[in-house]
Amino acid sequence: MRTRGRLHSVLDKAETGPIVEEREFDIEYIQKPIQALVKKYDVKWDKDLFLTDDDDLADRVYQAGYELALNTGVYCTSTKRRMVWTKAELDEVIATSPSSVIMGEGDDLAHIQARRPDEDSRVAVCGGAYGIPVPENLFVPVMLSYAQEPLLDFIDNCSLVSTYGRPIRAGSPWESVACWQEVDLSFAVVNRAGRPGLAIGCAENSPTHIGEISSNSIGGFRPSDWHHAALVSELKTNYDQLIKVAHFARTGSHIHTFANNIYGGYPGGADGMAVALVASLILLQATYFGCTVNPGPTHANLSCDTYPAMLPGIGVALQGLNRNTNLMTTAFARTWGGPGTKNILYEAGALALVGVTSGIALMEGVQSAVGVQTAHCTGLEARFTAQVTHAAEKLTRKEAVPIVKALTEKYQDAMAGGDKPIGKPFDQLYDVDKVVPLPEWQGIYDEVCQEFETEFGLKL
Amino acid sequence: MSNLEKIQKDFLDILLAGDTDKAVALAKETLDSGTAPTEFFEACIAPSLAEIGKRFETLDIFLPEMVTAAEVVQQVNDDVITPAVESSQSEGITSAGKVIMATVQGDLHDIGKNMVVLMLKVNGFEVIDLGTNVSPSEIVERAESESANIIGMSSLLTTCLPYMKDVFDYLEGKNTRDQYKVIMGGAATTPEFSEEMGANGYGHSAAEAVALCQKIMA
Amino acid sequence: MKNGMDYEVLLTALDRAENGPVVDEKIWDAEIIGKNFRETLKKYDIKLEKDDPYVTADDDLADRLWEAGMELAAKTGVYCIDTKRQMQWTRDELEKILAAMPDKVTVGAGDDTATIIHREPEEDSHVVIYGGPFGIPITEELFIPFHEAYAREPLIEIFNMGTLLSTRGRMIRAGSPWESIAAWQEKELAFEILNRVGRPGLAMGCVEIATTEVGELAGTTYGGYRPTDCHKINFISEQKTAYHHLIEASHYAHIDAFSESYFNPMYGGYVGGGAGVALACVSGSIVMRAAYQGTLNNIGPTHVHLSASTHPEVLRALQLGLQALSRNGNFLTSPFTRPTSGPGTKEIFYETGALAVASTVAGCSYIDASQSARGTKTGHASPLEVLFVAKLAHAVEGMSRADAAPIVAWMVDRYKDSQSDPLLGKPFQELHDMETLDAKPEWQKLFDEVCQEVEAEFGLKL
Repeated sequence: MRTRGRLHSVLDKAETGPIVEEREFDIEYIQKPIQALVKKYDVKWDKDLFLTDDDDLADRVYQAGYELALNTGVYCTSTKRRMVWTKAELDEVIATSPSSVIMGEGDDLAHIQARRPDEDSRVAVCGGAYGIPVPENLFVPVMLSYAQEPLLDFIDNCSLVSTYGRPIRAGSPWESVACWQEVDLSFAVVNRAGRPGLAIGCAENSPTHIGEISSNSIGGFRPSDWHHAALVSELKTNYDQLIKVAHFARTGSHIHTFANNIYGGYPGGADGMAVALVASLILLQATYFGCTVNPGPTHANLSCDTYPAMLPGIGVALQGLNRNTNLMTTAFARTWGGPGTKNILYEAGALALVGVTSGIALMEGVQSAVGVQTAHCTGLEARFTAQVTHAAEKLTRKEAVPIVKALTEKYQDAMAGGDKPIGKPFDQLYDVDKVVPLPEWQGIYDEVCQEFETEFGLKL
Repeated sequence: MSNLEKIQKDFLDILLAGDTDKAVALAKETLDSGTAPTEFFEACIAPSLAEIGKRFETLDIFLPEMVTAAEVVQQVNDDVITPAVESSQSEGITSAGKVIMATVQGDLHDIGKNMVVLMLKVNGFEVIDLGTNVSPSEIVERAESESANIIGMSSLLTTCLPYMKDVFDYLEGKNTRDQYKVIMGGAATTPEFSEEMGANGYGHSAAEAVALCQKIMA
Repeated sequence: MKNGMDYEVLLTALDRAENGPVVDEKIWDAEIIGKNFRETLKKYDIKLEKDDPYVTADDDLADRLWEAGMELAAKTGVYCIDTKRQMQWTRDELEKILAAMPDKVTVGAGDDTATIIHREPEEDSHVVIYGGPFGIPITEELFIPFHEAYAREPLIEIFNMGTLLSTRGRMIRAGSPWESIAAWQEKELAFEILNRVGRPGLAMGCVEIATTEVGELAGTTYGGYRPTDCHKINFISEQKTAYHHLIEASHYAHIDAFSESYFNPMYGGYVGGGAGVALACVSGSIVMRAAYQGTLNNIGPTHVHLSASTHPEVLRALQLGLQALSRNGNFLTSPFTRPTSGPGTKEIFYETGALAVASTVAGCSYIDASQSARGTKTGHASPLEVLFVAKLAHAVEGMSRADAAPIVAWMVDRYKDSQSDPLLGKPFQELHDMETLDAKPEWQKLFDEVCQEVEAEFGLKL
């Protein structure tokens, strides 16, 4: 990728930037400036609105986020230094960021293209379990349930509960063993699905750099797969991430980058979260030279990103970015509800509508039941997400507003307390041998598809 | 030969044999006969340890014997000398100085550092050994919390030298550089690097490290 | 998997690192190593005296050493620093693992392969020369000419480079992304060198700059070093491993790469004197195979103060260890040549030559040479000392140990007094013409003189 010539300069910043204690960074460079920027740029919206279509607001949010990126930079926890970019450098990052990418190989290519809000053009979809832990014996059927869905342009792996019966210990050689097992299982999946060149989001069993760079190697995951690097909340990196990025840069691998700003954390509420989100995506591009940039904000308590009050923040930030840059932004459905429930479909649908009409290039999902329930993931919710995504391509923000509101009303109560709608594990929702949904789950899916058609006029 | 000289000879033999019980018994017997604890330390323990250090330098004895001797002396100090000093309310044995020792981040080698630690101990220094793969911030924080006089860093690998530089950077950043003397050693270090970093000294053997620390504390 | 590697053996090793008994590192050093070594030496009556020949010819002693080493290997195992656990294998398990070792392997690719075979003491068969400056620090500017001078030498069959002092002008920081950058730079330079000398498939010792798994894993991937190269993995003294080594073991297994595993027992350290070092050569090799399943087995015992493998007591211990290993297992062993002297001196030839002769007749399969001036002086290395090793090793293939002993003694006499105040010699660029890369006349003259001395004294044709 043409922007990776800046790699050395980025690594230099981690070694030579001003030294600052982490706690000081959190308060003086994140919390206080965000509060000030929210005020300065008058970042606010009607609290009954779950999707805004105010271009001026979007641009102001963008300006606020840009200013945060410029004045704060990224904190490298390994060196205790702040990595800073000048305005000229940051402008160059934005101006030269890639606006399209083709991943995968052979007949199984996935095309991703930057978009603008309200644009009627195709959105790519990545479906997967996004690191949800799955027992070894279920990896293949679970991931096959995604890989066999023709509406999914590519997939992202689940993680393994164990490797050859052993716990996977972060930072240990077991990470390497687990990621190579993930390689073997992943190729079994894509071959069985008849899509050998399908790009695979990987390596999900790599909490540190070890598994990732061990398995992104000869006979392992390929440069054409979709590798990951993240900013840790808020705006932090470390040697692990930079080691991975250096590796990806040299092997010519696609890099998917993400940042999970915390709603209710140092950025504050949805307004501060939106500002932080913009800064994060700009700095993801500056630090990691990725193709796609993903905001996966997380509710401080619930850990999901479909909490109704968060949606407008996500939307306006994406709109600001998509109006002012060519970044290939994404929206990522991390739902409170699990598979086998209607909640998961409502939540993923709501986020897809927000994201697509706000101009994302790629829709991702679903990290069901916030990703913590073993094997609570199926391809059916990913299929649904893809269907809503493509239906939403025809909508403007204005048209999507009432639909999103209606959807939030269907699921918000479950987030207020009571039993968590975690749904069921894969083997209770799918025939594990045939890898098809069981009637119960198929029935729920059909009902919600019908609701979308009847209530919202969206044919899925 | 004076009586204490004879006792020192016996003590040395006992240390070389690694016999803790005999060492403790000899120390007790000597003190019971009227020798002051500090006198026993200076006339018997210190020269015995110095001799052991010399024999290790020429490899007439090996590392295990040196380790054992140091452990025996530690036991004698704990069981006999220190209690005697406390009960007599006399001035204790002055430590030669307090040293923080570490093999820096990224490096797991420790034998060279361990030899320096041992040699410093046998020469009367109080040494806090932080082990291997120690981050620069931990080195600085422990030096502060222990009120060390000297920070000693070791590395066998050139790729770990930047972490030594970080220690200097962090000390400067905290404005505490002047509170410590910083020395370095290990195969990767050179006098030129030491000078470039502004270290207070460089040594390429355990014996040199001791001489350096003694000079610093003089 | 190749080279007799077994996936279950790998997983077992990783299991033992997680589940073995918890042991304090100081207890490991003093008791599990120190005390057990002393007791085992006594039990098997393993002695090496200062007036024993530098090359022993006592098969019974070598075989007792082997038995002692097997017993000790089962008793001690390996210590994992990260988990603070003792990794142990039963005698049965060790025997099965050793039985699976191949007795020959071919590394490299295309026209540039090298086949390393198991040899026995006094065997008249080819010793492979694994030559290079072995990690000596070298500047970026000199990297290519310095190494080209080695790589073009046909007697060098596997090639190991020095270490970059910096990468793209920056300090190389262990465990950081700069280690990754340096690994890639090293690889680029390596392949530039190989292409210049027309040996693109030559097996490279790699990744030389790797201090942690970062450099190794980064450098061995698409477009990087190849599975046919000789990757590295080691113990820390004595018989200790760490996660980053086990990560490397896992990585090599998965990409099906050759590896050289190495360790450096310390003369004067916890294993004691010469007899202890000999015993460590054996027990360390056995447990190293169990822990890493490395293709090649390199032993570089070192003097605790001088850091040399050519100290007379160390040399004597090493050759005995090599005999025990080569007589009793399929190990593909080598000594590690770490002289105190540097290039530009005669002493370096005596040191490296003594080790080469002793090791060859002791049954080593290949020779690593030479980490000159103990590897501590920037650029203090030259291919001439490797050439000398090669010529001498080939000249004594098939020689008896009894005939070799006086050659080694003659050489030791010529360097032993200089070791405590080593002659560091000169850097490469002062000894070689930087245009042609040939040795300058005065340096070539020293080489020729020593060759003539050896030829005249012992009737060898170098």
